[in-house]
Amino acid sequence: MSSQANPGSFTETTSSPVLEVRGLRVGFAKSVDIVDGLDLTIAAGELLCIVGESGSGKSLTALSVMGLMPSNGRVRADVLNLEGVDLLGLSEPGLAGLRGNRMAMVFQEPMTSLNPVMTVGEQIIEALLRHRAVSRAEARDIGMAMLRRVHIPAADTRFDMYPHQLSGGMRQRMMIAMALVCRPQLLIADEPTTALDVTIQNQILRLIDELRAELGTAVLFITHNLAVVAEIADRIAVMYAGRIVEQGSRTDIFDDPQHPYTLALFAAMPRASDLGQRLAAIDGQVPQPGSMPPGCRFAPRCPFVIDRCRTETPPLVELSPGHKAACWRAPLERNVA
Amino acid sequence: MSVPILEMTGLVKTYETGATLFRDGRVARVVDHVSLTIGRGETFGLVGESGSGKSTIGRLALRLIEADQGEIRFDGIDVRQQTPEGMKRLRRRMQIIFQDPFSSLDPRVRVGEAIAQPIRLHGLRPPVEVSGRVAELLDLVGLAPHQAGRYPHEFSGGQRQRIAIARALAVEPDFIVCDEPVSALDVSIQAQVLNLLGDLRDRLGMSLLFISHDMAVVRHLATHVGVLYAGTLVETGPAADVFGNPRHPYTRMLLAATPNPVPGLRARGAEIDGEPPSPYHRASGCPFASRCTERIDACLEARPGLDEWTQGKHSAACFRSGELPHLVPLSDDEAQMAEPYRRRLGLLRAARAQART
Repeated sequence: MSSQANPGSFTETTSSPVLEVRGLRVGFAKSVDIVDGLDLTIAAGELLCIVGESGSGKSLTALSVMGLMPSNGRVRADVLNLEGVDLLGLSEPGLAGLRGNRMAMVFQEPMTSLNPVMTVGEQIIEALLRHRAVSRAEARDIGMAMLRRVHIPAADTRFDMYPHQLSGGMRQRMMIAMALVCRPQLLIADEPTTALDVTIQNQILRLIDELRAELGTAVLFITHNLAVVAEIADRIAVMYAGRIVEQGSRTDIFDDPQHPYTLALFAAMPRASDLGQRLAAIDGQVPQPGSMPPGCRFAPRCPFVIDRCRTETPPLVELSPGHKAACWRAPLERNVA
Repeated sequence: MSVPILEMTGLVKTYETGATLFRDGRVARVVDHVSLTIGRGETFGLVGESGSGKSTIGRLALRLIEADQGEIRFDGIDVRQQTPEGMKRLRRRMQIIFQDPFSSLDPRVRVGEAIAQPIRLHGLRPPVEVSGRVAELLDLVGLAPHQAGRYPHEFSGGQRQRIAIARALAVEPDFIVCDEPVSALDVSIQAQVLNLLGDLRDRLGMSLLFISHDMAVVRHLATHVGVLYAGTLVETGPAADVFGNPRHPYTRMLLAATPNPVPGLRARGAEIDGEPPSPYHRASGCPFASRCTERIDACLEARPGLDEWTQGKHSAACFRSGELPHLVPLSDDEAQMAEPYRRRLGLLRAARAQART
């Protein structure tokens, strides 16, 4: 577990980032690394979206940052810093002191992450009582204010309700209130709206956007939905088979996509202009962790593939300031006949 | 139009909860006088939020649950009057696919066997031909026949959904209820399954009741659409009309809430407030009035019916449908994307076409 500091290497942000990850490698006991050398930084108040399909390593990345990997998991990194603190150097009690305090996480399914036999109010103030020197009465006031902050109507009666008494949208608001009650520097949201209706999704996205602007929280938002990304991301990292294949601002990725995988994801979306036509699925399948292809991991499914792609891993190269892609053939118009 | 494949009239379904020996329970009205017709070869997209009654309608159609009131005709046959024997014959012609294929496939049964069971049950093929038919079905949904010997856990989510589709197709149905079949799938797998469903409809002439909360997906596949709110249909018509000229404020709200993959197109401030009403509480006026931005006093007093506004086959249950301005909220045409985006997607399509030849 090396943690060699690498100062001066971050170029995307001017101030020092809230989260800095360099060379993150995550795997399980016997398997190869599923997340294979991931770099990312998030500045205060910035929302970074990780986009990718199931099995791309999005959630493993999030769990590694939170220190929530199962015991057979293996997390290594050159740098894994939260506000300059080396997370890999911390003991479990040290990490527990940060979770729910300096960093917090919201999951896809609020019902499985809320405790069914505890009122939501108790669950919200739990973090305050643990991490802050406040009395129960003070904690209750702060918790109640947080419920109002996430637009829960009739907050004082809902505070004493149990999770099953609330709707799915309300439960997800409770999760967000719980995550933000200690005003963490980093919020990780793993598919927080995937299980919700579009109307409730819209409300939750607005809420996250509002809170990060107001509290200056750095947000790592994980989703497979490109339309959601279009609405909320400041910056985007596209992941495929454990690696970032393209990274840039929202404008970079949506107006000037470079990696063939990014293009393939866009092409598969149903748009008004595709009515009556077949959708463009991506041929083949995501490789299994045990049988990752050498070279570019997208090569077996890529229509632009050349021999080099199958042997040499393309590095993530900066094509314009802040916009990077890992493809031997980018930019395509120059390299494809 | 010939005899529609499915005709539901005045369907009502309620559930009573919390009843004890000493007191009555509360009655939840989950489906409230819904009528809809699905023609042969049509795909009827049923959209609405959780709790709107979408899935209940799908199950009522197949009589997996019993309606309290109303009539269901399948190919002219009165479904609710059928004996168990008659139901068994009908079930061969009507099938259902669920959202989560993992929970609808038995983990201990090899997929080939799972597909073979309905063929044997209904005696559709002589025993010697069953395995050949299974291979044919696997091929039809894009899986290799040699995969018949594997168990469900050996497949990915998209493959499992294709297995569920193969099993539904095993009985050669005329009609399939698809209950959120692509909601759990990644966009590229979603594209595969939607293509497959579209092909089956076009090649085998099947009719689909396609239940989803994803407006972009329904717009892509459906020929007709019904928008459900609190157990009632608030707007229905040909898909092009409903998506091209939505006339009910709720349909417009759903479309406005749908995230648009064209960045910067939509103002972030689209106000989507409130949640659906409790099914225990039936408002005397319009069920959507509490969340509606177009509400007038009349909406609280009387409940508008689907005959309130009609143009051709397009109807909306709203007093104000005729006055609402024209609006196409889900405008996500590729033409709106930047030039480099369109150029590179063009390169991708050309490269794919070339790779296939």
